[in-house]
Amino acid sequence: MLDKLGSSLKDALKKLAGKTVVDRAAVEELVRDLQRALLQSDVNVKLVMGLSNAIKRRSLEEELPKGVNVREHVLRIVYQELVNLMGDGGEVTLGSQTILMAGLQGSGKTTTTAKLARYFQRKGLRVGVICADTFRPGAYEQISTLCAKINIPCFGGPEEKDALKIVRDGLPSMSGLEVIIIDTQGRHALENDLIQEIIDINTVSKATHRWLVIDAALGQQASEQARRFHEAIAIDGVIITKMDGTAKGGGALSAVSETKSGIVFIGSGETIDDLERFDPDGFISRLLGMGDLRALVERAEETISSSDIDVNAMMRGKFTLRDMYKQLESLNKMGPLKQIMSMLPLGNMKVPEGVYDVTSTKMNRYRIIMDSMTGAELDDPTLISSSRIQRVAHGAGASPEEVRELIKYYKTMKRALKGVRGGGGKFDMQRMMKRFSG
Amino acid sequence: MFETLKSRLKEVRNKLDNGINEAEIREGQPAPVPAAEKSPAGGTGIVDRVKVLIVDRELVISEADISEALSELELVLLENDVAFPVTEEIIANLKKELVGKRRKIGEPVDTVVLTALKKALSVVLGEGFDLINYINTHEHPVRILFTGVNGTGKTTTVAKIGYFLKKNGFSVVIGAGDTFRAGAIEQIDVHAKRIGIKIIQHQQGADPSAVLFDTVQYAVAHNIDVVLADTAGRFHNRANLMNQLEKIRRVMKPDLIVYVDEAVAGNDAVIRADEFEKTVGADAVVLTKADMDPRGGAAISIAHTIGKPLMFLGTGQGYDDISPFSPATVIEELFGDVA
Repeated sequence: MLDKLGSSLKDALKKLAGKTVVDRAAVEELVRDLQRALLQSDVNVKLVMGLSNAIKRRSLEEELPKGVNVREHVLRIVYQELVNLMGDGGEVTLGSQTILMAGLQGSGKTTTTAKLARYFQRKGLRVGVICADTFRPGAYEQISTLCAKINIPCFGGPEEKDALKIVRDGLPSMSGLEVIIIDTQGRHALENDLIQEIIDINTVSKATHRWLVIDAALGQQASEQARRFHEAIAIDGVIITKMDGTAKGGGALSAVSETKSGIVFIGSGETIDDLERFDPDGFISRLLGMGDLRALVERAEETISSSDIDVNAMMRGKFTLRDMYKQLESLNKMGPLKQIMSMLPLGNMKVPEGVYDVTSTKMNRYRIIMDSMTGAELDDPTLISSSRIQRVAHGAGASPEEVRELIKYYKTMKRALKGVRGGGGKFDMQRMMKRFSG
Repeated sequence: MFETLKSRLKEVRNKLDNGINEAEIREGQPAPVPAAEKSPAGGTGIVDRVKVLIVDRELVISEADISEALSELELVLLENDVAFPVTEEIIANLKKELVGKRRKIGEPVDTVVLTALKKALSVVLGEGFDLINYINTHEHPVRILFTGVNGTGKTTTVAKIGYFLKKNGFSVVIGAGDTFRAGAIEQIDVHAKRIGIKIIQHQQGADPSAVLFDTVQYAVAHNIDVVLADTAGRFHNRANLMNQLEKIRRVMKPDLIVYVDEAVAGNDAVIRADEFEKTVGADAVVLTKADMDPRGGAAISIAHTIGKPLMFLGTGQGYDDISPFSPATVIEELFGDVA
């Protein structure tokens, strides 16, 4: 579904290519596609409408800068507005601080608390955790088990019913530590007594940061909830959790705009190390379901110069291991293959999924293996017999299976490229790329 | 639940009425009638409409009359977390239903629009699910498996439903099938003790299938009516975790698979409900955290996507905070003040 959206966005962008003046109809189509993509990603309806109006207005009113074509101009506006929408990533200082965690039930506060503790610990800081969740059964066991695994002190009392008392007692016991993270019970904005409780905890703990934990799947409700939390304790950072699912995290944007803060971290897995700093570009490409928008803006063609890959030879089906080697080399500059392919104007062409399932480490292995091949083998991979496979494997310090895998991968690639040619009929790939990049 | 939706729907309804009323005034003027009759080539649409107006004393609703109000309605649904594809479908159906529809001049516009909206929503929300009736009509022990992604409230829901069933005179045993998350076994254990229900548990990291198999064995041996099987939260895009769930299903052979999701979820609700339905199936849905969210669009989205009835709504932190979901009442509530 989203792939389709991404490509329709691209189609809309393509219509702008080669125009000398900004075409109102094309911009409107682009904005409509953008709206659909963002709404599907749970971005707040009002934010989406504001954004699309701004894009429409700026595209049509702003004068075209010299040396920039229409498509680049509009693309840049879209990108700038999107970055505006999500603000800069919130700041994370590596010093003494007290962090108060807040959020709805089941948004992942406790798991995130442990991940954060791990994050700061790895940065060389002494970390302690206070468990102020006195309500949910098993909450203390959960956080103390997680903390024990990474050797971090955890203060709490499973029998104690008063969260404030725990915080009051816990803070002195953590006096020698640099980072103190206070995990709290889940609550939502309509529970007044619980909101009062977190206000009190905030006052007592004199927290330096108050971070709101938002489930990536949270929908339109996000802005309302964030607003109330912000009113209560002045949220200064947002953490998006469960980004390893299929949810797009658009709800978190509403939270950012309500709290005028930024996204600090993204949780993307169940183990304690699955916490990343926020990266706006990756997030935008996920929201829109299309390749890296900034790479597009910054003229991706700089890295794919025609000397790197002989595109036309590839399209004629003369794709050798040597070409693949070059391609793998340029991959280091370009990012994953899927993104490259998604930046190419191939329309709705189907590329076999297996082609993409190659990680960067694997790519490096492949390059090493290819270094052990002779020139003749690189030019004509059909030469590679099983005894040659043995030799190459020995030379590269790899197993024969890995060499076979590489050859299989090469064949898939070759087939995929043939498919590109067959599906598109007669077209000049290089010209396409040029036109695409403006 | 549904409060915002309700108030916004009212606005749209008014708009819809206005649109159609204006159309009525336009067509009510006698002037274009002879003109239209003289030139049949001027478009069958006008001729038809005029004919209908004169002969049948009815009005035909055209697409232009309602398009603005419908796009307004679309926004309303989106604002209320009804997922994008679901919204589009509802709107398309509504349009199909309304455009070209004839209505008598005297007939209030309300009724036409209202019936269409009501019909669209009641088709989506379906019938509801009577758990007690289900248990009574099936062989005991009735095995109920709870599934869903992380943090939607499966464990709490198991406790609440356990309490609900116990109050209704059934004997219940809970299987602590979440052996993954730290503290999960302690959590369900405390719940079970508080509500006085027997719980079967192994230690953390054990095979959940084994725990739940034991639970079923225990229920058979002790003539217990209902087995409630809790499981660890898992994402639908994790193949091995979904396979584990599939194994659990094979081993404990549940009569009923209950999919648990939260009322505050947005568009993703549709994607994951669909995946769960495809891999392990789902017979009924429980929507938690309905107290957080007066919108309730997720209910419409999920019900529409997997076509399975909504069984319960979780509405708070207490064991009593669970209420059977009745689509008829909800629809009555949404439209009741006008109909």
